[in-house]
Amino acid sequence: MAESKNDGRPSSIPALDLDDMMSVTVSADRLQAMRRLGAGHMLETAHLMPGVLARPEAIFEGIREDSDEDNSRRGGEGWRCYCGTPDTSYSLDGTKLGARKGWVYLVFVNKEKVVYNWRWERADKDDPELPQNHQKRFKERVL
Amino acid sequence: MNAMTREQFAEMVLEQGPIPEPFKPFATYNRDGDCIEFFAAQDMFYAERIDDLVTVYYSFETNEIVGSLIKGVEDLLEECPALQIVISDRKVRLSHLFMAHLFSRDQIDQKISDVRRLVYRKLIRVAEDTGTEADLELATV
Repeated sequence: MAESKNDGRPSSIPALDLDDMMSVTVSADRLQAMRRLGAGHMLETAHLMPGVLARPEAIFEGIREDSDEDNSRRGGEGWRCYCGTPDTSYSLDGTKLGARKGWVYLVFVNKEKVVYNWRWERADKDDPELPQNHQKRFKERVL
Repeated sequence: MNAMTREQFAEMVLEQGPIPEPFKPFATYNRDGDCIEFFAAQDMFYAERIDDLVTVYYSFETNEIVGSLIKGVEDLLEECPALQIVISDRKVRLSHLFMAHLFSRDQIDQKISDVRRLVYRKLIRVAEDTGTEADLELATV
């Protein structure tokens, strides 16, 4: 594996915290995984993920029982899902593309304020700025 | 720790760049999310949850399965002590993790829909075909 001066070091970036901004740390494990997936993933990590954290369309908090992000058995208290609809996306080789209509970009943050996952998911048909099944998946919409 | 600006972060990420090696399927344990991510192919993907533990990654281009995310790994290890039998040097075949989840207490009495059955079959086949193992070094095994 190629070495880089930032390998393994956590990176802290700004994220909206309702009326204010806060710092969140990006998982070094996930960053390394994205490096193995190619240029498109690195570009989306570099541009889309921080953009959604700073200017989300919605923020969901907590999870419902038998639901998603984080371990429902541990309650998921304090875990957040930031949701956005970026106006750009990238192909695998790094070519810049337009918005992905019908899709939302989700960024997941654990209660220690570590960003551990970011990805595309289908948008809600009735509300294309929100993820499919958002009513069932999350306890509360806080933004 | 001082936060970087978005521009500084982007610069740092792009400076690292992708790893210039031929892609091989891999699985990685992410301690921050207590999850294992499996990447079977190099593709841009979208995610769909199939149940409370497993999310499947599908290629935007082909709609084929290109990966998955298994959550709550430490809980799964606690609930399925028999998994220890197939863990060797802290490594476990992903297909065993999928099956352990299906046979766990939470799932054993649940009706499995045709769609979910099909997705699990495909996931297990992809995991078997690639022979991918997850390294549980950082989990509480």
